[in-house]
Amino acid sequence: MLRKVPVLLTAAAVLAAASACSSGGSTSASGGSSFDPKNCQGGTLYILNQDSATDEHFDPARIYTSGGGAVPSLVFRTLTTRKRVPGEAGTTVAPDLATDTGTPSDDAKTWTYHLRDGLKFEDGTPITSEDVKWGVERSFAPELPGGIPYLRDWLVGGADYTGPYKGKELDSIQTPTDKTIVFKLRKPEGDFPYVATATQFAPVPKAKDGGTAFEKHPISSGPYKVQTHVQDKSLTLVRNPNWSRAADDQRLACPDRIEATYGLSAAVINQRLSTSSGKDANAITTDTDLSPAELARISTDPNLKKRTVRGQFGYTNFIAFNTKVKPFDDVRVRQAISYAVNRQAAVIAVGGSSLATAATTFLPDQAAFGYQPYDAFPAGPTGNPTKAKELLAQAGQSNLSITLAHRNSDSHQDGPAVATAVQEALKQAGITVNLKAYDQASYRSVQTKPSTEPGIFLSGWGADWPTGGPFLAPIFDGRQILKDGGNYNFAQYDDPKVNAEFDATNKISDPVQARPRWGALDAELGEQALTVPLFHPIYLRLYGKNVKNPYLDQWRGSYDVAMVSVK
Amino acid sequence: MTELVTEVGGPGAPASGPPARARQVLRRLRSDRPAMAGLVVTVVLILAAVFAPLLAAIEGQDTTTFHIQLLDSARGGVPRGALGGVSADHWLGVEPTTGRDLFARALYGARISFTVAFGTLVVQLLLGVAIGLAAGFGGRVADAALGRLIDLAISFPQLMFAIALLAIVPQSFPRPVLLMLVIGLFNWGGTARLTRGQVLSLKTRDYVAAARLSGASPARIALREILPGALPQVLTYAAILLPTNMVSEAGLSFLGVGVHPPTSSWGQMLSTATTWFRADPMYVLVPGLSLLTAVLAFTLFADGLRAALDPKASPRGRR
Repeated sequence: MLRKVPVLLTAAAVLAAASACSSGGSTSASGGSSFDPKNCQGGTLYILNQDSATDEHFDPARIYTSGGGAVPSLVFRTLTTRKRVPGEAGTTVAPDLATDTGTPSDDAKTWTYHLRDGLKFEDGTPITSEDVKWGVERSFAPELPGGIPYLRDWLVGGADYTGPYKGKELDSIQTPTDKTIVFKLRKPEGDFPYVATATQFAPVPKAKDGGTAFEKHPISSGPYKVQTHVQDKSLTLVRNPNWSRAADDQRLACPDRIEATYGLSAAVINQRLSTSSGKDANAITTDTDLSPAELARISTDPNLKKRTVRGQFGYTNFIAFNTKVKPFDDVRVRQAISYAVNRQAAVIAVGGSSLATAATTFLPDQAAFGYQPYDAFPAGPTGNPTKAKELLAQAGQSNLSITLAHRNSDSHQDGPAVATAVQEALKQAGITVNLKAYDQASYRSVQTKPSTEPGIFLSGWGADWPTGGPFLAPIFDGRQILKDGGNYNFAQYDDPKVNAEFDATNKISDPVQARPRWGALDAELGEQALTVPLFHPIYLRLYGKNVKNPYLDQWRGSYDVAMVSVK
Repeated sequence: MTELVTEVGGPGAPASGPPARARQVLRRLRSDRPAMAGLVVTVVLILAAVFAPLLAAIEGQDTTTFHIQLLDSARGGVPRGALGGVSADHWLGVEPTTGRDLFARALYGARISFTVAFGTLVVQLLLGVAIGLAAGFGGRVADAALGRLIDLAISFPQLMFAIALLAIVPQSFPRPVLLMLVIGLFNWGGTARLTRGQVLSLKTRDYVAAARLSGASPARIALREILPGALPQVLTYAAILLPTNMVSEAGLSFLGVGVHPPTSSWGQMLSTATTWFRADPMYVLVPGLSLLTAVLAFTLFADGLRAALDPKASPRGRR
């Protein structure tokens, strides 16, 4: 009888567009010839962005990022954090304020953390477990909305808790000592350490908390503190004298100063980074990828090519079916479309093999998610229209005409470019595809409300942390069908056996043990043709010519600003 | 326009015989080289658009088939080979990321551009002439009211309104027809004002008075006596409107509110091509030069036609 709070894809989608990128473990993580972590301090790093790197409100309770974010985690340390290394290991959890990633007990329903020694706020006061508890509690306050939804669902009593400002504590968070904090969950959640990377787990000193005013001067626990912040325009960070590397092994904090500028267009950012003159030589971006046209130009210039990093954020672009709409209730029609799709054309439509890899699995092709290769409807890279026609004939569908819904822009790779590629491929199988474009603003809400959900449409999905659970559950857990909107179980698929498997796997607190279970579940679900996976995006980013150690982390696929040097 | 309206002694038509005048106009037009060049290019382009399916068939291509094997997947999907993949099979190369044939897409794009431009013109002429005639012929109150309406039509922020309108109309509505209606509905003011001016100057002429005295009904006078006199000026103006309409269509398609994929139009092609101008210049040049050539040819011809009809008012008048 578990009722899960919807996992927000909107945030994941924003991530994919804005910050999604990750180092494919590439060796290009060598910005300069000589990077020495011991001697990397100094200089000013510039961040050129389209949107704010700190969400709309720079308050740890209100920020919604995966793994702590790029810029927020420079100011807010959290109980755990993503491991700051390039490559596959970057998808794992590392202790941050805590001494380990958490000790589970009671079937992963209780999680205990101990704080490490020498932790201080920017004003020099020591950080205690009470400050972490206060930070989590205040994220329940209705005046500070916008954070992750999981705590409300997971913590005992979380559903009715309205924050600490009226004097009420959340009893499921206990602080037996100044250094110990215990979380009591109402159900097993083996992925708790992943969620403890979120900024809601950052310490907030009760004495300095002015509620909604806290974002005006957020008290830093990380290597930098805020000097000036003009919302949606600029942010300047300077060193926090009370932070030291001795008490933090996950941040190098090389630059003395970080200046971010927001509101630039993607073309301008990439042009400035490629020219790399003046201050732009010390610049990176935390939200702008290379477009296909920019890639085509850069690939002929060896100097620019050298200043490109490549990465993946666990994301899958797919065709979604609403199985409550005819003819998609017929599995043979869904299978026919699965066979007819030309993945090579879809990949080229979004910029080719450097920017996407063809997908036959719903899980992203990264081990952290439990990826196991499978192809339930093997049709080769360009599709098998003959097989598709056979299946349609069996289903009694001749001259099938369908309407494919898509976004009216290609910004999220679910727009006209991919839609026409699908249209053209299905034509080979005798299916007439009409296209219906939805505008940017309404597309997500149309999809996620069963009453307005189209029968077949282009969609995409990324999870809030890199494991199989948050990637699969919102899409395939039958208890997460939400009639009033915010529904990501697009197929409206509800199988008690699958639901039970979700519960069983969530009890596993060792992510490596959980992986094969998620992989097997994905392969089993793939047989049902509830979606047609199309491709996993790859992200390419440029950096200025003085920037060193600019890898894209595998967790979120963005520059790890805490590890970048400009000296 | 207004100065052209008041100054021109246009209504030669009913006085001297049409054949004589037509011959004179033709002679002038024929000796105007830019105008003739414009006419030839215009005719060629229109023929190319009309026979687009045939020409594409000769090339052996169509507008929608993907040729992804011609693209360099590792380089963002840019066409392989020089000049955006120009080859014996693809005369103007192929489109990046899809490999669709640019020659075929440009030809079919011309069909949209011309159809919308002419269709819009019909809407503009019907509305503009009717309202202009009513204003000029309908007496003081009608003139005042319709005159303000014309002012409103001319001063209206057309682009924003057109974008809004195109965005809210259901997608099932045929797009080219919608474009004609939207562009036409916002751009009839000039025609109306010109017609009104012509009517005002014609209705005091002797032959109109003669018709009135012989008992002709007002409707007959308006349609049979005055309208034919005003038409040459109006049609000349229409020739100038045509390239403007093409640019309007291209502009709206460029902004993404024009025809829907996979239909091609020059504006839509330009819109997707802009980001590619450095990586694949051919992709921008094909629709860009097509649009430039067509608009230039129409304009030259229209200009020549105006000069031929009325040498005195022509900016290139042989003085």
